[in-house]
Amino acid sequence: MATCAILAEELSRRFDGRLAVDRLSLAVYEGEVFGFLGPNGAGKTTTVRMLAGLIAPTSGRALIAGVDVVAEPQRVRSLVGVLTESPGLYEKLSVWQNLQFYADLYGLAPSTPQIERYLRLFDLWERRFDPVSALSKGMKQKLALARSLLHDPKVLFLDEPTAGLDPEAAKTVRDLIAALSQERRTIFLCTHNLHEAEQLCDRIGLIKQRLLKVGTPHQLKRELYGHQIVVDLKKPLESLDSQLNLPFVKGLRVEQTRLVIELENPQEQNPLLVRRLVELGAEIQFVREADRSLEDVYLQLVREESL
Amino acid sequence: MRRVWVVVLKEWREALKGGKLLWVGTVALPVILLGISVYMMLSVGDLSALEDEDLKMVLHTLFSVFLLYFMLFPMIIPNAISVYAIMSEKEQKSLEPLLATPLQTWELFLAKVLSAVIPAVVITWATFGVFVLIVGQMLPAGLWEIVWRDFGIAALVTLVLFAPLASVFVTMTSMAIATRTSDARSAQLLSSFVVLPIALWALVSIYQNALLQPANLVGVSLLLLGLNIVLLKIAVRLFRREEILTRWR
Ligand SMILES: Nc1ncnc2c1ncn2[C@@H]1O[C@H](COP(=O)(O)OP(=O)(O)OP(=O)(O)O)[C@@H](O)[C@H]1O
Ligand SMILES: [Mg+2]
Repeated sequence: MATCAILAEELSRRFDGRLAVDRLSLAVYEGEVFGFLGPNGAGKTTTVRMLAGLIAPTSGRALIAGVDVVAEPQRVRSLVGVLTESPGLYEKLSVWQNLQFYADLYGLAPSTPQIERYLRLFDLWERRFDPVSALSKGMKQKLALARSLLHDPKVLFLDEPTAGLDPEAAKTVRDLIAALSQERRTIFLCTHNLHEAEQLCDRIGLIKQRLLKVGTPHQLKRELYGHQIVVDLKKPLESLDSQLNLPFVKGLRVEQTRLVIELENPQEQNPLLVRRLVELGAEIQFVREADRSLEDVYLQLVREESL
Repeated sequence: MRRVWVVVLKEWREALKGGKLLWVGTVALPVILLGISVYMMLSVGDLSALEDEDLKMVLHTLFSVFLLYFMLFPMIIPNAISVYAIMSEKEQKSLEPLLATPLQTWELFLAKVLSAVIPAVVITWATFGVFVLIVGQMLPAGLWEIVWRDFGIAALVTLVLFAPLASVFVTMTSMAIATRTSDARSAQLLSSFVVLPIALWALVSIYQNALLQPANLVGVSLLLLGLNIVLLKIAVRLFRREEILTRWR
């Protein structure tokens, strides 16, 4: 069995009576990129803070690489790297001084090559003597990311790492995340960018106080939309709704030459459906599984939850 | 303890780029202090005309006041700096990434206190040195020996032991309060108008009673050291990481 880098059991957090995170149970395996999605105020940041040993849970427990976050928060903090929601850099200090300060805090060797490595990686090397206040928002974000990587953490919490970055910088960060996961680092990624989550994450968790769903992006889509198929016709069919007349068709949407049909069991029922359509005079070009984006899954789940 | 110094050095680096506030503390205040003491010396008039007994009394009164001055000095300077040190972390939102490192609460707290107290003490010593030089020139020959005999040890104990410890005490108290108040402005007000006056009053009355017996002064200083350790523990309890992270936004 793969080792658990992050294990949460019934983790809850209350703020002045309001429940921010409700009995979250979760296992993230070593080397996994785990995406954490949810609407604003869903409890993502609160979860990261609990898992990184920054704030204590109201109840429940969590282990990071086997270390209990409540019993040994300091050890947890030395194991993990956290990219916080806002970069929180020292504006008056230079780029270099900011990183050097954190390198010293983690007790890295005074001449650690890590600082130069990340500054070059993020294209900040030329700006290393500039005060942070002179950097753009995206540069600050990259610097904060470099800061969270300095001590080579095995588990990395990234709270919206690409928010505010230009497409190129966002890609640098995404490539870096992919490269880090190649090094068997565990990455816990909070994001609002569904495309990014789909691209990067091995598994995704949807949270809205409670953990709504966990699975690979493929599983999530399959689970919700696996029963939909799309049929493309050469030309539109007249009054299909009334003529189709098959008991197993659960839903039908006609978009000119495209039919989106919901079935109970596509594997068994597709042949029957196709035969019937041909009988009705359809000239079929393609039949395929509905290709839904993660966005649809996300929106549907979040909406269901608020009903 | 290593991490404490790392944070102290960071504080100083930041302060060096800080501008006006820094200059007020490090240059303007010592100059004012020196000016007042020298003015007091001048206004006493010609000391050589006084009889032995009167002279002794005048010198005692004068130098008690001077010492008190130099004792208070390191307590007042850090007040502005220490609240600012927490306020700037708050404004830059830099506390969360900082607290995400293995840095412990007491280390952070002690670092903030020391980074304010150490410069204050050093400035006090430097100012005192200049004061001694000036007054040494102003006093008629022979009098300086008397002053040194009566006040030398007390001055040493005051500057090396009592004043730094008292400064830590006051600074730590106002910082502990600053971490519990949700906004920096009320923290500043509370520490300037409540904590500082009360602490100053208490310390001054203790100090005045102990002044002329260096042994008492050492005793009081040790007591203050113990008190500081207890206070650090209390401050760490009061400094709830959580509230800082979640309330200060
Ligand atoms: N210190 C606090 N005091 C009171 N409520 C809080 C506090 N911190 C967070 N909350 C509440 O907890 C809930 C979850 O907040 P959290 O910041 O974890 O959400 P999030 O998923 O990170 O949202 P976003 O996508 O906007 O970053 C919100 O309702 C928020 O108002
Ligand atoms: Mg958040």
